[in-house]
Amino acid sequence: MLSDPTWFERRAFLKSGFGAIALAAMLREQGLLADEKVVDPLAPKKPHFEASAKRVIFLFMSGGPSHMDTFDPKPELTRLHGEKLPESFGPVKTRRGVDKNKLLASKRTFKKYGKSGIEVSDWFPHIGANIDDVCLLRGCYGDSVTHPESVYLMNTGSILMGRPSLGAWVSYGLGTENRNMPAFVVLPDPGGWPKGGAPAWGNGYIPAAYQGTVVKGGAAPIEHLATPPGVSAEQQRRTLDFIGESNRTHGESRSGDSELSARIAAYELAYRMQAHAPEVVDLTKETAETKARYGIDRKETSEFGTRCLLARRMVERGVRFVQLYSGDTNGWDAHSDLEANHSKLCLQSDKPIAGLLTDLKRNGLLKDTLVVWGGEFGRTPMTEGTNGRDHNPHGFSMWLAGGGVKGGQTIGNTDAIGLRAAEGKTHVHDVHATILHLLGFNHLKLTFRHNGRNERLTDNAGEVIEKALT
Amino acid sequence: MRTAAALLLLVAIPLLPVRADEPQNHWAWKKPERPKVPAIEGQTLANPIDAFIRAKLTDAKLSPAPPATREQLIRRVTFDLHGLPSTPEEVDAFVTDKAPDAWSKVVDRLLASPRYGERWGRHWLDLARYADTNGYEFDEPRPDAWRYRDYVIKALNDDKPFNRFVIEQLAGDEAFPNEPDALIATGFNLLGPDMTDSADQPQRRFNTLTDMTDTAALAFLGLTVTCARCHDHKFEPISQKDYFRLQAFFTPANFRKDVPVATPADAKVRAAAAREYDELTTDLRKQIAAIEEPHRKKMYEAKLAKLTADAQAAHRAAPDQRTGGQLELVAETESKVRVTDAEIAKALTANEVAKTNELRAKLKTFDDKKPLASPVALGLSDKPGTPPKTFLLERGELTKKGEEVLAGFPAILLPGGKAAPATVQTLPGSTGRRLALANWIASSDNPLTARVIVNRLWQHHFGKGIVATASDFGLRGQKPTHPELLDWLASELVTGEWKLKRLHRMMLLSETYQQSTQVSKAATAFDPDNKLLSHANRLRLEGEAVRDALFVVGGRLNTKMGGPGVVLPEAARAAGGSRPVTVTTDTKEYARRSVYLFSRRNLKLAFLEAFDLPDSNLSCPKRERSTTATQALALLNADETMAAAKALAERLTREAKTEEERVVLAFRLTLGRAPSEKERERAKAFLTKSPLSELCRALFNVNEFIYLD
Repeated sequence: MLSDPTWFERRAFLKSGFGAIALAAMLREQGLLADEKVVDPLAPKKPHFEASAKRVIFLFMSGGPSHMDTFDPKPELTRLHGEKLPESFGPVKTRRGVDKNKLLASKRTFKKYGKSGIEVSDWFPHIGANIDDVCLLRGCYGDSVTHPESVYLMNTGSILMGRPSLGAWVSYGLGTENRNMPAFVVLPDPGGWPKGGAPAWGNGYIPAAYQGTVVKGGAAPIEHLATPPGVSAEQQRRTLDFIGESNRTHGESRSGDSELSARIAAYELAYRMQAHAPEVVDLTKETAETKARYGIDRKETSEFGTRCLLARRMVERGVRFVQLYSGDTNGWDAHSDLEANHSKLCLQSDKPIAGLLTDLKRNGLLKDTLVVWGGEFGRTPMTEGTNGRDHNPHGFSMWLAGGGVKGGQTIGNTDAIGLRAAEGKTHVHDVHATILHLLGFNHLKLTFRHNGRNERLTDNAGEVIEKALT
Repeated sequence: MRTAAALLLLVAIPLLPVRADEPQNHWAWKKPERPKVPAIEGQTLANPIDAFIRAKLTDAKLSPAPPATREQLIRRVTFDLHGLPSTPEEVDAFVTDKAPDAWSKVVDRLLASPRYGERWGRHWLDLARYADTNGYEFDEPRPDAWRYRDYVIKALNDDKPFNRFVIEQLAGDEAFPNEPDALIATGFNLLGPDMTDSADQPQRRFNTLTDMTDTAALAFLGLTVTCARCHDHKFEPISQKDYFRLQAFFTPANFRKDVPVATPADAKVRAAAAREYDELTTDLRKQIAAIEEPHRKKMYEAKLAKLTADAQAAHRAAPDQRTGGQLELVAETESKVRVTDAEIAKALTANEVAKTNELRAKLKTFDDKKPLASPVALGLSDKPGTPPKTFLLERGELTKKGEEVLAGFPAILLPGGKAAPATVQTLPGSTGRRLALANWIASSDNPLTARVIVNRLWQHHFGKGIVATASDFGLRGQKPTHPELLDWLASELVTGEWKLKRLHRMMLLSETYQQSTQVSKAATAFDPDNKLLSHANRLRLEGEAVRDALFVVGGRLNTKMGGPGVVLPEAARAAGGSRPVTVTTDTKEYARRSVYLFSRRNLKLAFLEAFDLPDSNLSCPKRERSTTATQALALLNADETMAAAKALAERLTREAKTEEERVVLAFRLTLGRAPSEKERERAKAFLTKSPLSELCRALFNVNEFIYLD
């Protein structure tokens, strides 16, 4: 239904006589699908094996949320509050040299939720209520104490900038089912982009067709989507028809060039995207009940709730990978006054995220939509200043839900105070390998040849977290 | 079980007989020998390139395509050499030129124009991973990076011998210490991304070292050594030891952002001017400072006191002593402690204001004597004293030092394939290591250098390299389609004193280049990838050429050359924690060629990005040619397109009287040819309901605008 052209398009297509034919069908007729690479980089592709997840929503908590105050209760930290880090923990690298500072207990209270009884802090009551769908990874770790390097690692598998992002790999591997929208969509926080900027959703050395497209709300959600000022919709169609006719005349004496045909089709797709993308971001047809589920009816949760609802609408329409950022450029980076910083951001995101999970479940989408939650790192059990926490890549929490993940369980643990991943450790590469596995890929085999090397998302490492799978 | 199988495999390999395709026998490791130009029965071919191409076609029983039309040819070659469209006058001149050397005159005219360096400089900048910012969180501008970009453009326009171009970039400071251009050239090594506030500064230096080693190998040698940093290369005969031997050429280098690059005469003049200005104004400046400084200090202290203790300590630490965390803190809080002139002005008493105003007015009278800041550039120079040792690092990790290694070239490229330390001649004030590397690479005995660069020229002219993997000539790279031709071209380059323009000319004057893009049935059947070049490959414009062409057709291109990058308003949009950049105020600058646009690592220009602008973090040997809906949207709807459509429509209205004439001129300016009768009618029908600017916008979007026949 939703991929049907609007009446206006249909009329225009009938008039111009070629628009309504889908790209693949059109090219197949012309016998041009043999060389898929040239024709359509985003044509749907099959993964290596049958997948439990078909699409991903990545909720990225930019700045690094504290695990000890959210998903990883540490009674021992409370006991040691005010003391120095015991020497038994050895030397530890932090961004701002807080290793000699005192330990800071969490002020939060934790409660057991759901059948699984997993403990979640009082900052996340709504997510807590969905905990039986969540596979909580409490033993995550990364490679760098700085923001951009860690943002890149979490998104691209390398602390160096300029590698293809997870979303780009997924689009490269799977293509897209809805050509009226980009395959990989990014919804940054309106307050600012994460540290490290656009390379976090970049294509690196793989073709630009796979990079993330920033989508905003409103009439022109995508760059260059709106018809230029002063040009009517009818004029746009006339101009497109002129382009199409000229191209067909041009192509008559140049038959067999699949690139030329692909470009003709790309213009029709562009036109369809113009017609469809505004519909995707138009929330007027959503019920008040649905909006309330995401907290759109409340000031604190309205903005992030809106983006969560957009994410559902997008995956529903075949967008392959949606990434949402919570927190502006500084975001969850609570070097001081963690209570104030986190209570605000938790409040902003708790209801919307829970709303997203329940709504996906209600629509039957959760079973093959993977939801990922995490930041670039966690935070230190040692205090920074009197009431903040420094960056901690040595141990932190993430969670997965839906898409064939076994919910209601925790995997891994940090040490007694939350400083380092200690048991069931999962490196960022392992999380990536698992996400790719859920999507039907052997992460060792999803590769792209660049400068003589078969590059992959997980570099030289990565193991699928088997326990996370159903 | 698996272990057992692996063991078996390990045992089995050494027992296999030595074959011709053993790694050490790979064609690219051997110095090219000048092959004989093939003779083809019944044909006399003036250009040896055609003989090599024709010989293979004849073997495959394929015939070459007929020549392209003159209109097609001049459009093709003008975009190819200049990245700009040919003008209707240039087209007419060539089409009507009956002289036998009409074509070579066109080629020579284009090669002699400075537009050539701007176009081909961009190809080299792709390899050099050029950008104007550092990347990572702050993405700080590199205010002097553009000097390298200008150096490249000038070197190409001057037809600087390629071997010298190599030496200058790797070791300009050692080879030609008194030549500013050569110092600027060493900026090549530092163009990669750089995390200035890294928490681990030794690691930061190591990342840069790695990047320069890898990039030099890719760009000059077509050698992929990256894998060998962590382990012996699995596919190429490059050991981990080879890797660190190669890196050792760079380890003594200081990575500088302040290499003085004024010419000695210029520097003298500036120094004298500076002294004079100093003497003339010392007194005035002291008097102003005596009034203002106490205020400034007080206000600064007051602001600083409001920061956290950690932040205060970070600010108080000497700038070069700050830890990574402190650098970050300072960067985050510096706007909070900055005392502006306006704040000072407010703090002054009425008396003080009157006094400073008077003093400043006097100081201003000396402004015309103010010397300009001395130019500096990114570049390398060796650290004084004993060079640091280079160690093999296990798994490529800085903390895992293995054995010490000495600077040396990859063993596989040395006589007998045996590793040996390089002979390095110590220079006054420098180790001479990079010069040793540069001389080896730039030597006519090096089996790779000449082949790699002639192949790059070929790739851009013909759409595909003789070796399709232009930066990978190793075992895993593609085999050359015409190995003899490749070697012949390499040998021509060397005998022709490494001059590139001569090679361009040779390629462009060939009949092979001048073929049409028409594909015969036989070619489609037997050589669908056109490996044998039975016809010309249809080239496609890159984003820069599209954007530049949009300016040219409307008569708006600003051909000013060189200087700091033009910051479009779009580029100033700070992303994440990126440092702001100042938007260029003179809007005439916005119409300059794309190669002069300020390029941010963290935010690419949307229009160019839609057309496969490569990521500037890694050396890019060949651009992608993607065809997507977002690309179509960009060319259809971007402001750039609308502005160009309006400008062209105005031009058409100005320069042609009737609608008929305007249609013809529109086609000639955008597609380099007059419209057919059918097209004329179609355009006229279109114009009954649509404005002229829409016809222009449509023409920018047709396939023929961005594909070259």
